[in-house]
Amino acid sequence: MTVVRRAPRQAPPAGPTGVFIAIVTILGLCAVAFGVGWGLTQVLAGIFDRPGGFQIPAYLILILGAIVLIPLMVIAVRLLPWLVNWYYLLPAIVFLLAFTVYPIVLTVGYAFTNYSGQNSGESDTSTRLEVTKLSSTQLKLAAGANAQTELRCDVPTCAGVPIAMPDPQDAKKKPRANSIVSVEGGVITLKNALPDFYKPIQVNRVNPIAFIGFANFTDIFAKAGVQLWPVFVWTVIFAVSTTLINVVAGLVLGILLNNKRLKFRNVYRTLLFLPWAIPAVISVQIWKAGLLSTNTGALNRLFGLFGGMPVPWLDDELWAKVAILMVNLWLGFPYMMTATLSALSAIPEDLYEAAEVDGATKWQQVTGITLPMLQTAFVPIALSTFAFNFNNFGLIFLLTEGGPKLEGRLATAQSTDILISWGYNTAFTAAGNAAYGPASAIAIIVAVLTIGISIVNFRAAGVFKEAQK
Amino acid sequence: MTQAKLPGEVYIPSRNPLRPFLVWGGVALLVVFLIWLVRELGSRLKGPTFFILRYENGWMWLVGGLLLAVAVLCGTAYLGKRIGERSRGRTVSYVAVLGDQLTHLVIWIIIIASLYPILFIVATSFDPLNRVTQSSLGAATDPLLIRTRVLPPIQGNDLSNYAALFQGVVIYTWQWVLAGIAALALLWLGVVNFRTRAFAGGLIPGRIQLERRYTSLTLVAAIILFFVFLLPVQFTGGTTASKFLLWIRNTFLISGLTGIMAVILTTTAGYAMARLRFPGRFQTLMFFIFVQMFPNIVALVAIFSIIKSLDLLNTFTGLILAYSGGAIAFGTWIYKGYVESLPASLEEAALVDGTTRWGAFTRIVLPLSGPMLVFIFLLQFIGTYAEFLLANVLLSGAANWNVGVGLRSFGVSGGGTTAAVVYGQFAAAAVLGAIPIVALFYGFQQVFVSGTVAGGVKE
Repeated sequence: MTVVRRAPRQAPPAGPTGVFIAIVTILGLCAVAFGVGWGLTQVLAGIFDRPGGFQIPAYLILILGAIVLIPLMVIAVRLLPWLVNWYYLLPAIVFLLAFTVYPIVLTVGYAFTNYSGQNSGESDTSTRLEVTKLSSTQLKLAAGANAQTELRCDVPTCAGVPIAMPDPQDAKKKPRANSIVSVEGGVITLKNALPDFYKPIQVNRVNPIAFIGFANFTDIFAKAGVQLWPVFVWTVIFAVSTTLINVVAGLVLGILLNNKRLKFRNVYRTLLFLPWAIPAVISVQIWKAGLLSTNTGALNRLFGLFGGMPVPWLDDELWAKVAILMVNLWLGFPYMMTATLSALSAIPEDLYEAAEVDGATKWQQVTGITLPMLQTAFVPIALSTFAFNFNNFGLIFLLTEGGPKLEGRLATAQSTDILISWGYNTAFTAAGNAAYGPASAIAIIVAVLTIGISIVNFRAAGVFKEAQK
Repeated sequence: MTQAKLPGEVYIPSRNPLRPFLVWGGVALLVVFLIWLVRELGSRLKGPTFFILRYENGWMWLVGGLLLAVAVLCGTAYLGKRIGERSRGRTVSYVAVLGDQLTHLVIWIIIIASLYPILFIVATSFDPLNRVTQSSLGAATDPLLIRTRVLPPIQGNDLSNYAALFQGVVIYTWQWVLAGIAALALLWLGVVNFRTRAFAGGLIPGRIQLERRYTSLTLVAAIILFFVFLLPVQFTGGTTASKFLLWIRNTFLISGLTGIMAVILTTTAGYAMARLRFPGRFQTLMFFIFVQMFPNIVALVAIFSIIKSLDLLNTFTGLILAYSGGAIAFGTWIYKGYVESLPASLEEAALVDGTTRWGAFTRIVLPLSGPMLVFIFLLQFIGTYAEFLLANVLLSGAANWNVGVGLRSFGVSGGGTTAAVVYGQFAAAAVLGAIPIVALFYGFQQVFVSGTVAGGVKE
């Protein structure tokens, strides 16, 4: 860093140079600090780690890094006093880099690999071979074991297959990596020599994470007819219709409750506020648990009183969609009602008085004053509701888990799955088989769509103009 | 303030001659679609079952009842008009009075409909036999709504579902004392708030303000001490459900610390964005906003592997760090807006007197931002309280769960059939788990109404 040798200056260099220097310095400071933290942790681990006993935890990197960062920051600000402005942003930047940007970078990386539960770069526990140690580079197979079938090698000698040996004393310890030179006559020859004290009892194959280019994406688009398109269409239909339904319900209730002559309107508002106040993670489960069951659910029992037939709420693909919209209406209308009420209270009273003087009817007042004034307030609210519901994973996951199942669709993309729950299912449910690479590719698609929606959203809400102020 | 359109302006016909066709075409398409949808939905209904009492002509009673209610309201509205005219001495519009009364009717129907799920779960939580969701009906002698199990049975309720959640929980004497202090403080806060009503509209005396402040501080401190020192060893129940209070404690700990992290991370950044002018400020703000658009659920694999490689899997620290990364953009944004609304002259005066920027921030701006910091904290607290997904992936073992993950463990949302007892316990846990957030919502109702609507976000 040649920059720091210059004489201290009070003002940053003008234009992009200043920004560039600041960013490079900040990133450099973080890199040095956490690099030193990592190094110190390695040194400490070398000294204090005991096999099967005490282990230096890896999060020490963060603590040591933070401790190293402080003196570095003091030195840097002595040399570049204007850097102090950036220090206000530093805590936020560090956290964003570590826990938001870094995961995003990793996700983008995973999208181009075959990373999965099996191809994880770690021991594949579905392959195992019992062994005993012969010499430092040779292991003897248990009687009757066949290395090629057990380790799923392409050639009988298993040449070059990476393996890992679990620690015989402590299963929690990281397995020791190695690779096979050859397997002949029940004897495995290893590439790297084992230390004398180490006596492995088992060998697992390791499937490395491989770069596969755009294969995940081409795969998604090749099967788009049974997953991407139907899921995308339902995601958009769900997000648009739930926003419309909630906005209309909230508008109607808000306009009804805005009536100044109405007695108890504050009591009504307080009561109608309640669905908003209950955490959605609880209320969605309440709905699913008792109310929407086909044979014993409270809703069907209520409908039965009025001659209704039992509704297969969560058992039929179309009714499940209706159920999702209904539960989301229940969850979301109090917010829309509150938004309507506060937008209405911002409309000056004299507009209505002037309209009344001019002979406008009540209905003309609503369509001519109230609705146009509400439009300004509601465009950003409706857009952010749309964006929120576009990725409303919690509702779908807790209410229908994507189901009910449909013939001809993939197990990860069922009738009510939205894009984000499809991605989640691909990575984290049994149906998806822990396919992290393809799931990351889905994540990228979702992210591109979300960012597009958010840009429109922020433009409408004036965020960009506001930020520049 | 944007100028409203004049009432007549809206009715100016559009110049585009195709527009009416497009609009009506769209409406026609929508109607066709809705008709198709209703028919399709109707064809998918199931046949009658034994456990649902069906009254073929019940809908007539419903329509009849509604019509009767409207007729009664027409009468009372006429009475209301006459009474109003007599007391005020001027003409009262009949339509307006009737409209108000019909509004009451409509709103009561909506209130009953939207509170029914809550009534249902509260009632179920007291029923040890879970009669409401059983495949059975009530005795023929019961009133209609109870016999059909639309309303919960009144007899035979007890607290055994709640007892199961606290089975084997050992609370030490000093913790009882803390809980007692918290209860007293809450009671006293109610008394203080009641007394301040006498001063509505006027100045509240400083003595009462101080009293309120210290009572709330005592309440918060007692709750914090109670939950922080509630340890897993005190839960000797053995069943999963008996860990309920531990889940609440875990959730409080995680949400509270995440809320504090959000405040720490966003205040300095928000202040710099609002007050300091330096190249790169705007770009950094844009960077914050754009980075946070990436939905974090989709980066779950990566977050999991980072937390795992830091040896923080199944720890609260790992979860809190992962949550804190997602709290920054929104908090920074609203704190920036808040600081901009404060008069800059205060800080300028302090700067002229020789205070540093940092001094101006910590000694002038921070003490003035109390309500905003509370809002940022509460928003994060409530958002984290209801978070389920990340917790589900990062935490394992019943002793480490939060409320959301714990509730799912009762199996009601797993799709399978569940034992009645477990369902009742789920109901009890759902009721108790929701109470803290409902209390916060109603306690800070004004903050939420103004803050959330201004921010234009849900959650």
